[in-house]
Amino acid sequence: MTTLAASPERVRRGAGARTWAIVKRHALTVYALLVVGYLMLPIAVVILFSFNKPAGRFNYVWEEFTFDNWVNWNAVLGIQDAIITSLQVGLLATVVATALGTLMAMAIVRHHFVGRGATNILVFLPMSTPEIVLGASLLTLFLNTTAVFQLGFWTIFIAHVMFIVSFVVVTVKARLIGFDRHLEEAAMDLGANEVTTFRKVTLPLIAPAMLAAALLGFALSIDDFVITYLTAGGTQTFPVFVWGIARVSVPPQVNVIASAIFLVAIALALGNALWQIRAGRRQRRATA
Amino acid sequence: MNPRLTRDQLLRRGAAGVAFLSLPSLLAACGGGGGNGESSGELNDVLNFSNWELYIDTPDTRKAAGLTGPTTLQQFTQESGIEVNYYEDVNSNSEYFATVQGRLRQGQGIGRDIVVSTDNDRFLGEYLDNDWALKLDKDLIPNISNLIDAQAGPPFDPNREYTLPWFSGMDGIAWNEELTGPITTVTQLLEDPELKGKVGVWNSMGDTLGLVMLENGDDPANVTDETFDRALDVIEKAQDAGQIRQFYGNNYADPLARGDLAASMAWSGDILNLGDPKIKWAIPDKGGIIWTDNMLVPLGGSVPTASTYMNFVYDPKIAAQLALGANYISSVKGVKEEASKLNPEAASNTLAFPTDDMLAQMHQNDPTMFSNAEYEKKWLAVQGK
Amino acid sequence: MGTFLHRHRGATPYLLLAPGVLWLAIFFLIPLAFLGYESLQSGLFPNFEFTWEFSNFSDGIRDYREQFVRSFLYAGIATLACLVLAYPLVYWIAFRAGPWRNLFLLFIVAPFFVTYLVRTLAWLNILADQGPVVGLLRDVHILDSDGRLLATTFAVVSGITYNFFPFMALPIYVSLEQIDPRLLEAAKDLYASSTQAFLRVTLPLSAPGIVAGTLLTFIPAAGDFINAALLGTPNQAMIGNVIQSKFLESLDYPGAASLSFVLMGLILVMLLIYARIVGSERLTG
Repeated sequence: MTTLAASPERVRRGAGARTWAIVKRHALTVYALLVVGYLMLPIAVVILFSFNKPAGRFNYVWEEFTFDNWVNWNAVLGIQDAIITSLQVGLLATVVATALGTLMAMAIVRHHFVGRGATNILVFLPMSTPEIVLGASLLTLFLNTTAVFQLGFWTIFIAHVMFIVSFVVVTVKARLIGFDRHLEEAAMDLGANEVTTFRKVTLPLIAPAMLAAALLGFALSIDDFVITYLTAGGTQTFPVFVWGIARVSVPPQVNVIASAIFLVAIALALGNALWQIRAGRRQRRATA
Repeated sequence: MNPRLTRDQLLRRGAAGVAFLSLPSLLAACGGGGGNGESSGELNDVLNFSNWELYIDTPDTRKAAGLTGPTTLQQFTQESGIEVNYYEDVNSNSEYFATVQGRLRQGQGIGRDIVVSTDNDRFLGEYLDNDWALKLDKDLIPNISNLIDAQAGPPFDPNREYTLPWFSGMDGIAWNEELTGPITTVTQLLEDPELKGKVGVWNSMGDTLGLVMLENGDDPANVTDETFDRALDVIEKAQDAGQIRQFYGNNYADPLARGDLAASMAWSGDILNLGDPKIKWAIPDKGGIIWTDNMLVPLGGSVPTASTYMNFVYDPKIAAQLALGANYISSVKGVKEEASKLNPEAASNTLAFPTDDMLAQMHQNDPTMFSNAEYEKKWLAVQGK
Repeated sequence: MGTFLHRHRGATPYLLLAPGVLWLAIFFLIPLAFLGYESLQSGLFPNFEFTWEFSNFSDGIRDYREQFVRSFLYAGIATLACLVLAYPLVYWIAFRAGPWRNLFLLFIVAPFFVTYLVRTLAWLNILADQGPVVGLLRDVHILDSDGRLLATTFAVVSGITYNFFPFMALPIYVSLEQIDPRLLEAAKDLYASSTQAFLRVTLPLSAPGIVAGTLLTFIPAAGDFINAALLGTPNQAMIGNVIQSKFLESLDYPGAASLSFVLMGLILVMLLIYARIVGSERLTG
C-alpha cells in the first residue's frame, strides 16, 4: 500500500476521499441487503402466515398466532409424500445433471471438435422450449415405450435431469471460459496425469461453479410444475400437490413445509459460514 | 396416492439411481398404473377414484355439518369390503384430461375406476365420443331409480349408460358487500362503471357465455352462431372497456375475499365453502347456469367395482351425508329429507339444497358448443390467446 | 486410466459429451421429433393426420404475431432488470461477503424452495389493491386513486423478473468468483481508481457470466406463461399462454407444436445475432 506524504493538501483530500470511500463501501452493502430484502419479502410473508390460524379457508388475514400448523404439519393428506418425493427427485436429479452438465461444459469449452456448434445448439434448445411442450412431448415418448418407462418417480427424474442439464452447462461454461490452464499445465509438468490433474487441480477450482449450478438445478427441480405434472402419472411432487390443493385456497401447512425447507437450508448455510469464520480464526491464530 | 415410503424403499431408490442402467429392475420400483385398456370385468377389492378437491365428506367437514360416524368412503368399505384409493387430483378438466389423453388414445388404462368430468366443458364429450368410457352395469346400480328426473336423460348420455351425476353447482354472481351493493344482473356486472376493473368472469366458455346468453334473452341450451356472437360481443366490450379484471379458473374466490374484485361470476358451492359473511351470492335475475360433474368409468377401469360404488352413493341416506359434507347439490331423490333428519339447519341452506323455484331458474349449456372449433378459437381470442 | 486417456486424446471430448448428449438425445431430441411430426399434422383431436401441413407455421406466425412480440419484449425488459438488480448484489457477494457468501447465494435461490404458487400468492397479498403498498402509492399519487399494481403489464414483467433473478445472478457470480483479487490490487497499484479498475478489469472478466446469465434468463422467460396467467389480463398474454391453451383447451396439438417450433426458431435466430455481437468465444470459450 502506498503511503501518503504528510502534507496538508494531501491530508484534506485524503479525508474527503476516505469519507467518500466509506460511503461507497457501505452503499454497496446497503444495496445488497435491500435486494436480498426484496427477494425475501414474500418468503417472510409465507413464514409469518405459517403461524396463522385462519378463520375460514383463506390464509391472508392475520387472525391469531398458533403453533398448530407446525405441530400438525402433515395433517393435510398427501403433503408429506409430496414433499419427500420432491426432495428425492431434486437431490438425485441435481447430482446427475450437475455431473453430466459439467462434463459437457468441459468438452465444449476446452476442445475443438466436429459438432461443437451443434452441441451448443442442442444445449440451448430445451431452455427455449415452453415447458408444456417439453412435458407433452416427453409424455408421448413415455407412452410409446411403456415396456421400459412407467409414469411415476423415474419418469419425473428423467424429465428433471433433461431440463436441468442445459442450465448446468451454461453456468459451468461461464467459469471455464477464462480458466487459467497454466495451473493444470504446471501440475502435469510435475508428473500428474490427466485424471489426477482433474481431481486435484481442476475440480477444486471449478467446484464453486458446480455448486452454483447445482443450486440452480435443485431450485429448478423442486419448483417445477408443468413438466412434472404431465410426466408424473399420478405421483405428486410438492408443486403439483400445491397446485391441486390451491383450488380454493392454500392451507397453512403448505406454508409450514415451504418455510421449513427454506429455514433448514438457511440454517445449513449459516452453519457453514460460522464454521468458516471459526476455521479462519483458528488458522490466523495458528500462523500468528 | 403415494404409498408411504419405508426406509427400505428409500434405500432401494438410492441404489437404483446408481444402477440406473439396469432398467428391468425399475419396472417394479414405482408402478404408474394402468395396463391394457380392457376392463377387468371383475369385482376388485380396491376402487381407484379421481375427483375434485373438497368434493366429498371428510372428518372435518362432517364435524362442521354436525355429522357423526365414519366418512362415506369408510362406510362403503365396511359395507362392501372394497377399499377406496381416493385421489383429489382433478384440479381442472383440461389439465386432468391432458395427463390422461395420451394413454387413452393408445387404448391404455389410466389406473382409475372412476373419474369425474364436468358436463359444461368439452372433455366429458371427448371421453364419450371416443369410446373412452365403459358402459355401466346397471344391474349393479338398482339405486339408479333415485336419480332425479331432471338428470335422467342429458343430451350427451340420453340413457345414462355411461355416466351418473356426482354433484351439481350453480353459476351466479357473487359480490363483496363491503365494496358494492347487491349485483343482480349480468349487465350490471359487466357495465356498471363503479365496478370497473374489479369484475371477474370465468375463462370457461359454457359458464361465462351461458350467463350472458340468458341476459341477452337467448337460450344457452340451444346455441346458434348468432346467439354465440351476441354473447361474445358483450364480453369483448367489457374486456375492451377494462371492466373485467381477469378471466379466472376456480381462483376468483381469493381476490374476491381480498378486495381485488368487487364482484365476480361465481359458483354457489365455492361461496358456501368460503364461509366469509361479507361475500354474498345470488342467481342473476334472468337466470343461472347449472352444471353437473359426472362420474364415468375410463378405459381399464373395473365396471363392477365402479358400479357398486355408484349404487352406494345413490342411496339417499349416503347422498345426504355427501351433500352436507361437501356443500354441493346432489341429484338423488329424497336427499333433502334425509339431510333434514341429520342436520335441519344445514339442510335448509338453499345453496346446497336449492328450492324448486331456484332450480326452475337454472339452465344447462348446449354440449355442441364445446366441440365447435370456431367458437373455441373466438373465445380464446377474447382472452388474448 | 490416465495413460488410456492420454493416448486417446482425440476421443476425450466425445467421451465427456457422451452421457449428457445421450440423455438429451433420448429424452429431448426424440420427443422433439414426435413434436415435429405433430406440427405437420392437421385435423381435430384425436384424429390427427400427417399431411405436411406447413400452413400451421404460417398461420401461427400470422395469428399470434402480437403475442410473439410481446413475449420477447417482456422477456427483454425482465432480463435487463435482472441484470441491473443482480450485478451489484452478486459483486458484493463475490468480493465483500467473505464467509457469508454461500448464505447469500442461498438467499438468492431460496424463493424457489417456496413453490411458485405460494410465493406468487404472497406477492398477490402484498400488492393487493386494498393492501398497504398500493395504498401508499395511491397516497403519494404515483398511482391514481383507483390504480392498481396487479393485473397489469408491470405486474407480469415484475413477476418474470423476480422469478428469473437466480438465473441471472448465479452465472454472473460464477465468473466474478474466479477473478483473482490480486488483479484488482495490481490495477489500484497502477493508480487506477475503483471505477477504472471495475470497468477495465472486473467487468470484462465477468463478461462470460453476463452472457450466460442473459441467456439463461431471456430464453426461458420468452416461453413463460404462468406469470401472465396469474398476474396479467388478456392484454398481457404471451406466446406461452397461447401454446398452453392450444394444448390444454383447444386440444390443437398441431397448432401448439408448430408454435413451439416457431418460438424455438426465433430464439435460435436471436441467439445467432447475439453471438455475433458479443463474439462467439463468449458463448463457447
